[in-house]
Amino acid sequence: MRKIKKAAAALASLSLIVVSACGSNNNTVNETSNTTAATNAVVKEEATAAPQENVKLRIYAQYSDDDTKLPYDYAVAELKKEMPNVELELEVQAQDDGQKLKTYAATGNLPDIYQAGVDIINTFKKSGNILELDKYTDLYGFKDKMFSSTMNTLTSDDGHVYAFPYAGNEFMLLYYNKELFEKNNIKVPTTYDELMIAVKGFNAAGVTPLALFAKEKWPTVALYDMFVTRQEPAGIVKLDKGQVSPSDPAYKQAAEKIVELVKAGLLPKGATNLNYDQAASLFYEGKAAMFLNGQWEIATSTEKLGDKAGWMYFPGVDAASYETSKYSFIGGGGPGGYAVNPNTKDPELTAKVAAFLSLKYAEYKYTQRGNPIVATKVEIPVVTEYPAMMKQLSDDIEKITSTTAFAWGLSDAKFKAAIEDATQSLMTGGYSVEQFIKDVTKAVPQAK
Amino acid sequence: MRKYLGNKTAIAIFTLPALLLYTIMVFYPIMQTFFRSMFEWDGLSAGTFIWFDNYKELLNDSVFHTAIYNGLIFAAIITVTQIGIGSILAFAVSDVSFKGRKILRISFFIPVVLSITVVCQLWLSIYNSEYGLMNKLFDMLGIQYHQDWLSSGKSAIVAIAFVNAWQYMGYHFALLLAGAKSVPEQYMEAARIDGATKLQAIVKITIPMMAETYKFCMVFAVTGGLNAFANMYIMTSGGPGTSTYTLTYLMYRSAFRVGEFGYGSAAAAVLVIECLLATLIINRLVARERISY
Repeated sequence: MRKIKKAAAALASLSLIVVSACGSNNNTVNETSNTTAATNAVVKEEATAAPQENVKLRIYAQYSDDDTKLPYDYAVAELKKEMPNVELELEVQAQDDGQKLKTYAATGNLPDIYQAGVDIINTFKKSGNILELDKYTDLYGFKDKMFSSTMNTLTSDDGHVYAFPYAGNEFMLLYYNKELFEKNNIKVPTTYDELMIAVKGFNAAGVTPLALFAKEKWPTVALYDMFVTRQEPAGIVKLDKGQVSPSDPAYKQAAEKIVELVKAGLLPKGATNLNYDQAASLFYEGKAAMFLNGQWEIATSTEKLGDKAGWMYFPGVDAASYETSKYSFIGGGGPGGYAVNPNTKDPELTAKVAAFLSLKYAEYKYTQRGNPIVATKVEIPVVTEYPAMMKQLSDDIEKITSTTAFAWGLSDAKFKAAIEDATQSLMTGGYSVEQFIKDVTKAVPQAK
Repeated sequence: MRKYLGNKTAIAIFTLPALLLYTIMVFYPIMQTFFRSMFEWDGLSAGTFIWFDNYKELLNDSVFHTAIYNGLIFAAIITVTQIGIGSILAFAVSDVSFKGRKILRISFFIPVVLSITVVCQLWLSIYNSEYGLMNKLFDMLGIQYHQDWLSSGKSAIVAIAFVNAWQYMGYHFALLLAGAKSVPEQYMEAARIDGATKLQAIVKITIPMMAETYKFCMVFAVTGGLNAFANMYIMTSGGPGTSTYTLTYLMYRSAFRVGEFGYGSAAAAVLVIECLLATLIINRLVARERISY
């Protein structure tokens, strides 16, 4: 019995020890978690109070000429003032249809911030390689600074935001050399018939009617779109969405008109092998009367030709169509700008940097590059006066009734490739309209 | 030797590194290409297995037909030009009585070591329809034959093939020259004693004895032609339209411009099969019996 009592006492003591030990353990856990919470709070407080920890972010952005280098450098300099602890490591964007960026994404090596267009946004959102920025659009009042007319550059088709845009809706313009028209006594064309007269007149005078850098395929799409929009303001966008067929009258007649004009000598010899420099030289040197390019060409054309350079409204099917379709512009914008890698260390900070860079990039273009075509409002005064051609465009912006899209803004990659190939073939004059319709029809997506 | 061949461990040890490298660098990617060709895949997301749908689509794709046709035209032109002219130059330079053969031997090889970009830029100028050398040459000869060499759907592929033929002719020339020199001199002496002319000796003795070299050159030229890419990428970007597409260009366009990696892989798989078939046919038809001397 005594043995049993001793054993019971020992067991009780042991139980007490275990219980107290457990209690002590629980206390330790609580204490530890309390300490951790406290530490986190301190860290957070420190981070809020003094976010001076140096942060290095990789950025993949355009940086190839004055139009991209200067705004970027300005934005980075402004960022240094706003967030001195943030350092950007720039990798210059390759002109490779996004191959390098896609390879980075496939190998998990995506930069923290990268420039994205429609194609990249559509591909990356499927594979989870782009951060949805909906909750960050208030950073620096970004959304409030957007023009209502440029909201299409912020919001994607699915209603979400994936990139902070800086460029507004850009346009394609038909530039012309006023002096050449006057010298050769040729009327600036307002109709297709007058355009044909101009083509024949310039050919007779040994002047190239239209310089087109058709080696790059997007200008050939723009030329086709120019003719389509005289009858169908939505132009190639409707084809991209599968809402029309290339055999519909507006689309078929545009192809027919191009073939007719090309055969009459609209383009220089070997146009499909002409790059930008070669085509632009023809225009700058007074060897070509017209030149098709985006509104970003205004600065260089003004510099090279001065007052001799101007841009005209696209010739219409007839005089009446010219007036009605005068403000149906081609080009336009789509979602794009600085996007953020979802796996970046601090998404909020990276989004903040991306938003800030976009705002400052637009600010520089607006105030110092003479370019009012930006996505966000700029509140500081213009430093560089707009050239006359830009003033004309700026005055017309409010009157624009419709825009379309540049080839790179098309949403269906397969259609984009097909229309680029087919319109380039049209520029040779040896490609039939029937073949064009057949090739494009195969790529037109089913109605969306 | 017999002792060595009997030692299976030694054979395994010596062949294993090469075998491993080949498996990792060649065999595995090829198998992956074939496997991925059965997917609808954008290169980033998980693809959808669609069996042979990509191949069915390829067969109905007019660009695929253009690519196959261009590959064959390209291969034919560079094979005939590089091996034909390469042979003439090699036989001329291998003749000891030929003056200036040392300088010519170096000159013919210079284009091979030039960057393909440099060569293409050079020929872009030559082919320029406004001020290019080619059209000027016709002018000088009084022939009215001005052409848009690279802007015409029909002539562009031929024009590009000649650029490749010109650049790599020196490579085939070097191989053929080495082959011609390795033919034992006593055979030629015997032919001379029998009264054969130089041309007869070349046709009847040298060329048949160089069958192995010709086989090698043909495999290189034909497969090089079938998978041509860089020349058209630099000179015409596949254009005008799709008129200078090859299978490699179609693969590039599908994968990188359109984002259809599965379809691009199917084009690549067809290219692999095409090259293997060409190699098999050449091996079957040329130098079937090994000549040893």
